[in-house]
Amino acid sequence: MRILVSWLREIVPVPVGIDDLAEALTRHGFEVSSVDPAPEIPGRPAAGPDAVLDLEITTNRPDCLSVLGIAREVAAIYANPLRWPPLAEPPAANAEVAVTIEEAGAAACPRYASSLADVRVAPSPAWMAARLEAAGVRPINGVVDVTNYVMLELGHPMHAFDLDRLAGAELRVRPARPAETVRTLDGETRALGDDMLVIADAERAQAVAGVMGGADSEVTGATARVALESAWFDPISVRRTSRRLALSTDASYRFERGADIDAPVRAMRRAHALLAEIGAGAPRGGIADCYPAPRTPTTVALRHARIGRVLGIDVAPDFVPVILERLGFRIETGPDEAGAPTWRVTAPGHRVDVHREIDLIEEVARHHGYHRLPSTFPPLRRPPAAPADSLERRRLLRRVLTAGGCSEAITYGFIEEAAGRPFVAGGDELVRLANPLSETYAVLRPALLPGLVDALVYNRRRGRRDIRLFEIGRRFSAAAGETPGVAVVVAGSAAPEHWGDGQRWRTGDRGGRVPPADFYDLAGIVERLLDALGVAPAFAAPAGAGPAWFVPGRSAVVQASAPGEGTLVTLGHAGQLEPAVAAARGLPAGSGAIHAAELDLDAVVRAGGDRRRLVASPPPRFPAIVRDIAIAVERTLPAAAVRETIRAVAPDSLVAVRAFDRYEGPGIGEGQVSLAFRLTFRRGDRTLTDAEVQRTMREIGTALRTTHQATFR
Amino acid sequence: MAPLATVEDVRAAFAAGLRDVASPADLQELRNRFLGRKRGAVTALLRSVAEASPDERRELGRQANALKQEIEQALAARREASAADAPTAGDDGRHSPTEKPAAAEGSAGAEVARGSGVHDRISGRGAPAAPLSSAVLDVTLPGREVRVGHRHPLTAVREEIEEIFTGLGFEVVEGPEVEDDYHNFEALNMPPEHPARDMQDTLYLDAPLRTRSDRPGTLLRTHTSGVQIRYMETHEPPVRIIAPGVVYRRDTPDLTHSPMFQQVEGLLVDEDVTMTDLKGTLECFLQRLFTPDTQVMFRPSFFPYTEPSAEVFMSCVFCRGDGCAVCKRTGWLEVLGSGMVHPAVLEAVGYDSERLTGWAFGVGIDRLAILKYRVQDIRAFYENDLQLLEQFPL
Ligand SMILES: [Zn+2]
Repeated sequence: MRILVSWLREIVPVPVGIDDLAEALTRHGFEVSSVDPAPEIPGRPAAGPDAVLDLEITTNRPDCLSVLGIAREVAAIYANPLRWPPLAEPPAANAEVAVTIEEAGAAACPRYASSLADVRVAPSPAWMAARLEAAGVRPINGVVDVTNYVMLELGHPMHAFDLDRLAGAELRVRPARPAETVRTLDGETRALGDDMLVIADAERAQAVAGVMGGADSEVTGATARVALESAWFDPISVRRTSRRLALSTDASYRFERGADIDAPVRAMRRAHALLAEIGAGAPRGGIADCYPAPRTPTTVALRHARIGRVLGIDVAPDFVPVILERLGFRIETGPDEAGAPTWRVTAPGHRVDVHREIDLIEEVARHHGYHRLPSTFPPLRRPPAAPADSLERRRLLRRVLTAGGCSEAITYGFIEEAAGRPFVAGGDELVRLANPLSETYAVLRPALLPGLVDALVYNRRRGRRDIRLFEIGRRFSAAAGETPGVAVVVAGSAAPEHWGDGQRWRTGDRGGRVPPADFYDLAGIVERLLDALGVAPAFAAPAGAGPAWFVPGRSAVVQASAPGEGTLVTLGHAGQLEPAVAAARGLPAGSGAIHAAELDLDAVVRAGGDRRRLVASPPPRFPAIVRDIAIAVERTLPAAAVRETIRAVAPDSLVAVRAFDRYEGPGIGEGQVSLAFRLTFRRGDRTLTDAEVQRTMREIGTALRTTHQATFR
Repeated sequence: MAPLATVEDVRAAFAAGLRDVASPADLQELRNRFLGRKRGAVTALLRSVAEASPDERRELGRQANALKQEIEQALAARREASAADAPTAGDDGRHSPTEKPAAAEGSAGAEVARGSGVHDRISGRGAPAAPLSSAVLDVTLPGREVRVGHRHPLTAVREEIEEIFTGLGFEVVEGPEVEDDYHNFEALNMPPEHPARDMQDTLYLDAPLRTRSDRPGTLLRTHTSGVQIRYMETHEPPVRIIAPGVVYRRDTPDLTHSPMFQQVEGLLVDEDVTMTDLKGTLECFLQRLFTPDTQVMFRPSFFPYTEPSAEVFMSCVFCRGDGCAVCKRTGWLEVLGSGMVHPAVLEAVGYDSERLTGWAFGVGIDRLAILKYRVQDIRAFYENDLQLLEQFPL
């Protein structure tokens, strides 16, 4: 809202300079976002320093969308009286135009004042045009300018119809008819809905109520008689209409926030005074005020004690009625309550924001001054709850993943459909936005991986080769709803290069000393992070080819057993990303393989133990016996199968089985693979003998030969 | 003839000589200097044994022979060490610095390049433990890099905020990002068609999404206030929580706007909670997050869910309040929105709005991170450029 200070001075004395005024308004909740030099107003020399203040008016204070509204605040701040601008005395009413508020329109228009005027349409005088322009409104002609001037000065929107272009000399306030249209002042023909209120003549809609007038009854140079409208429209009705038509105007902006229901006649009188002042017109008869059910003003009880309880300060009891009266409230002193005064406060019509006690406490706080609030600290009356598990878990995840060399990414929750599409599991669907900013942000991410792949591509395109990123966040799908997940992407070398490492490998398109990261680098990260959460994962080959975003045969389903659940819980997947997926996102050719994993944190939680119930076991007191075993088996046999066979045969003294070598090639039969395992045996109660371990090893050997046709090497 | 050097003199001279050995030729030269048949220092020492007095002869002979053995061992060990390094050294020596594979990856490339010039020197790798023969290290070569990742800067700030408020007795709670209209707006004193809904341009879902509650999700939350409503619906007062999380607005990205950003909201509801407590708590929070001399200023504002509402400013972190371009010469930066919880909000969750008062605040983590780390562009947080991420504390 742009306020010309010299205009303000006509209504209230401003006893301070521009900067102090701006500061005072800001401190009272009307932020002055800029102070601009005032234009010269011909014929209305400023009585003091002048400027145009650009004020940010919060949505609860539509009464301050006017010079008068700001003047009321200035009057209260500096304890000065308001000087009302001149109002015309209404002559006797006439019935030349009949105004009807139809029953179906009464709720959205409880009050409609109108009057007629003979006009001589010409440009407004320079002072009026200059003031309108200073406020950001384009001057049009004397009649239209008067309605706009009243809106800027008093805050009440008005409208003028060319009376001779209205059919049947009547105005009807009614809902739009089915399929009714109106051509608005901006030249657009608008299709109306039956929940929209219109002002119509005997035949058709001539204005969208509270939003915009119609072009067919627009005041033009040829207009001789006008019907002036000064009404009050329901905020919700105006807002809905304005939104549906995608049409926001100065009038709709005010009505949808709440206009003063007491203002229509006052605004009309002001308009007639201005028409007379600029010689643009004279009233034909008086003001017809259609206000069948006058509203009772809001009265609110205010307790001094409550002010202190909310604000935490002791505001002087005398200050309260004084400041509220200055703001236009009517005060009656009530009985003391517990030794403190109370008041009954009646709000003026323009204070549409005041409904209950707290609204008055705000007024007291604003004018008492926020800068006078001291700082205190709230007592803690109850021990705070322990940190939520989910929070602790995420912090732990971050610690483990950053320690594992992965940096954290945060990517957008909404993505391009093309980025999300490859990651949609079979039978599921993307969640779309109804009003996305653009196609780049059209769907909610079905997984964290699309965002991470994009982040990886971004870094790769900037010359990075070793990229390890993770993200913890929510995913969205039609089938599963919103779920928490963690995802990791790994690209580049398996370890940082060092000058002292002699061996040389090929990573991507350039030479390097260390091998490129592979599936097992990723698997190690996944194992480590799950271990931190108390989950022992099992990697298994997926049924079929696995998720479509991985290279067939190069991905695993990550599973774990969950307490109280019979079958393994699927935590997620890990594998080598299908090169076409990354290429489609702009990954440069020759970038090497990307390995990626994503886990569902809800499933991880189900599979996880309670870390807080850890019971330590004493370090082993008896020595372990370690035996290596190397066998040749079918190439397609998973190491896990061999491990399970060993475990099934061995007694409890087998405490660890770990594969430490895998070899295919010369010396090993066609279609065979050599696997080597290290077995650790130990008992907690005594030292094992070689003989018993030897016996176990023989049993294991037999089992492997019979179960897997293993040959020993 | 110059007086004979003592055994200790020769041992010291050899140690010094070995330290300077940089090539096989140097090693040969050192050998000649000490073990050469004609002018070798040890050879001379052994010869002198014959000239010593009978008392000294035995002991001197034993010492001189021991020294000769020591030197021979040291020379042999050094020869072995350099032989073991030779393939590596030769292989690497052919690389010019510009061919180094890691050159594109920041400082590591530069370090490798710096190392390449000394590969033809005798390396310390594989040197035996004997004191005289310990090979000399080029300690200026870089160590083996320990690869660690970094938290995202927004996480770093978020966790710092969580820690501050946890220390002040607040519980950290979370909620869904896909919200229903009731929890995002209506329960917060924003009924349908409320003009304040315009303050938060909302992204809606094309079709309702099932959620864990009985209300399907229809929009992306514009603030984490819904979390507070859910908490109050399920907990008895007093309430002392913060709700951090991602929020979404239909804002076109620019320097200071991102359609997704991180927010923390705080809520305190109890008997006798006052606006001065709000000011004191926020002052404490900002002083810990920034500097102990940070000043806090309240200004009246409007939010539908708080009344009275205050915008919270802190003294400018760039100019310490003197006025600069960032704070538009005011010395103050707007950082938070806050206020006393509107009684209608307490009533919506079934709380007694007469007995209880409360306050709430909301702050953009991105905004605080921008001020704390002087990041110029909010969009940089979502590009995830490792060159930015790696600058932040672990
Ligand atoms: Zn500054």
